[in-house]
Amino acid sequence: MKTSIFDLENWREIGATLSRNKTRTFLTAFGIFWGTAMLAMLLGGEKGLEHKLMSNFEGFATNCAIIGSGRRTISYEGFNKGSYWSITTDDVEALRNGIPEIDAIAALYSVGGISVTDGSTATASMVQGVSPDFPKIFLPVIYDGRFINASDENASHKVCVIGKQVSEKIYGTESPVGQYLSVGGIYYRIVGVAGQTAEVQVGGAKIDEEVIIPMSAMRRNFNLGNSAGDVCILVRQGISPSSLQPRIERILGRAHHIHPDDHNAMFFFDIAEQFEMVEHLFAGVTLLAMFVGISSLIAGIIGVGNIMWVIVKERTNEIGIRRAIGARPSDIVMQILSEGVALTVVAGLSGIVFSTIVLAAAAKMIGPGFDLQLSTALGIMVTFVILGTLAGLIPSLKAMKIKPIEAINDK
Amino acid sequence: MITLKDINKTYPGAAPLHVLKDISLNIGRGELVSIMGASGSGKSTLLNILGILDGYDSGEYWLDGKLIKNLSENRAADLRNRMIGFVFQSFNLISYKDAADNVALPLFYQGVGRRKRRALAMEQLEKLGLADRAHHLPGELSGGQKQRVAIARSLITRPSIILADEPTGALDSRTSKEVMQIFRDLNSQQGMTIAIVTHDPGVGEQTNRIIRISDGRIV
Repeated sequence: MKTSIFDLENWREIGATLSRNKTRTFLTAFGIFWGTAMLAMLLGGEKGLEHKLMSNFEGFATNCAIIGSGRRTISYEGFNKGSYWSITTDDVEALRNGIPEIDAIAALYSVGGISVTDGSTATASMVQGVSPDFPKIFLPVIYDGRFINASDENASHKVCVIGKQVSEKIYGTESPVGQYLSVGGIYYRIVGVAGQTAEVQVGGAKIDEEVIIPMSAMRRNFNLGNSAGDVCILVRQGISPSSLQPRIERILGRAHHIHPDDHNAMFFFDIAEQFEMVEHLFAGVTLLAMFVGISSLIAGIIGVGNIMWVIVKERTNEIGIRRAIGARPSDIVMQILSEGVALTVVAGLSGIVFSTIVLAAAAKMIGPGFDLQLSTALGIMVTFVILGTLAGLIPSLKAMKIKPIEAINDK
Repeated sequence: MITLKDINKTYPGAAPLHVLKDISLNIGRGELVSIMGASGSGKSTLLNILGILDGYDSGEYWLDGKLIKNLSENRAADLRNRMIGFVFQSFNLISYKDAADNVALPLFYQGVGRRKRRALAMEQLEKLGLADRAHHLPGELSGGQKQRVAIARSLITRPSIILADEPTGALDSRTSKEVMQIFRDLNSQQGMTIAIVTHDPGVGEQTNRIIRISDGRIV
């Protein structure tokens, strides 16, 4: 081929033909622009939304469930319908020993509105008793010192871990570790400062706002007897927490005279299931985004093909003249194709730029994750250019077949 | 320059049309000839074959020592570009290019650089007295000026022959004369070989030889 795409003349011609019918060119370009912008915004925004929702689960072992006690709904073995029962420390041990799929089990019991003071500054806070397995399930962030451990639990040490907000309220910026804190009138030594990254609250408050003490100290100092409150279990990877529910019900039911069919006597919340639901939701959203994006892409591409077809029809005479004075068929194909590609590239790039601006605005207003990866942007561009070329190919092949005599006589 | 030997051409179809029947003719270097005939006589088909715009079924066509037969589209395009200058009745200029760009277009397909193309085009327009119209679009030119631009375009590649298809058909009598004068001058001063297809006897008279074609045969 003698003509080169680097020849200025080619670009002047492309500019000239595309600007001859400005409205039509603009509308076609807008189709492509909108197609790329839609696709880019959907792909970029979908990641941002996912990031936003997934942050609820961050810092949280997801394969876990929460078990709580409640009221019997079927009268059984002398216990009336409506009578209360509660999970005990013995139950916790029975579950730990009876179900080997449970990797970690933690009892937790919260009491709200407890007065907390170092002697000079006081605040009301939620107090939560937790067993040593708690950090395996809840993955707290330790800002200072350490978390409650097994020896604290076994010896019912009067130690506590305070939430970051509680620490800031009472001690300001100073490290509270080693200080003594009155919690409901009993002094506890502070061993650590903790918080959480997840948005999920267990026991009614975030760790940041709580005072955490060993479960054994909680039972003793708050007169709970052998009650264990609610129980969190972490289940071995690959096993669904819900699949353990019947065995858990059997163990607890035997110990507490609950009718085997009384499934409502116990509260069982499978966090893994919730997590999965969000994942499925996002798979769906992604699919929808792809569908909408690809539909607009196809619409844009058909627009280009259509317009190239019209251009070829309109210029039959001109193409004939060019062929008569020495244009090779390949010169004509190149000319028509490069017009389609130029239109696609310019409109596509504008679409990408536009969606980048929109996503940047969304990132500022909603949160991180609303950004278009360079690879995604390039992928969209390349797809568009390839499809734009293919769409222009049929009209340009038609143009190539134009015989000079027919075209010249076509007056 | 041009030698045709027993050229036959039939348009296939339900009723095949035998348009050229054993055409043999010679056009020497530096000749100014006209090909005349009524419409339907086959003169346009003959011009298409001479211009390598169309093929033929049997016979031989020699142009400037080359046998023109069964050429690929690319080869045909190259030969048209280098050896033949076309002038059409309806000018066939590209409407969105100025006169100089129109004249330069054949050089574009030879891969000549833009600067050089423009310079050669300007030179050619100057020779035809159109230097001041170089930057005008075809729509801003009169019929006679358009045809002179078309002639400049046909000359720019220094072709072996100029083929003109009813070059005065769309012009009034005064500009027709001007255009014919240009052809005569090109022929007498530069020795250009020119074949003009026409049905206008006035045009035929101004050429050195008239080839008459009737019903697909030379008479």
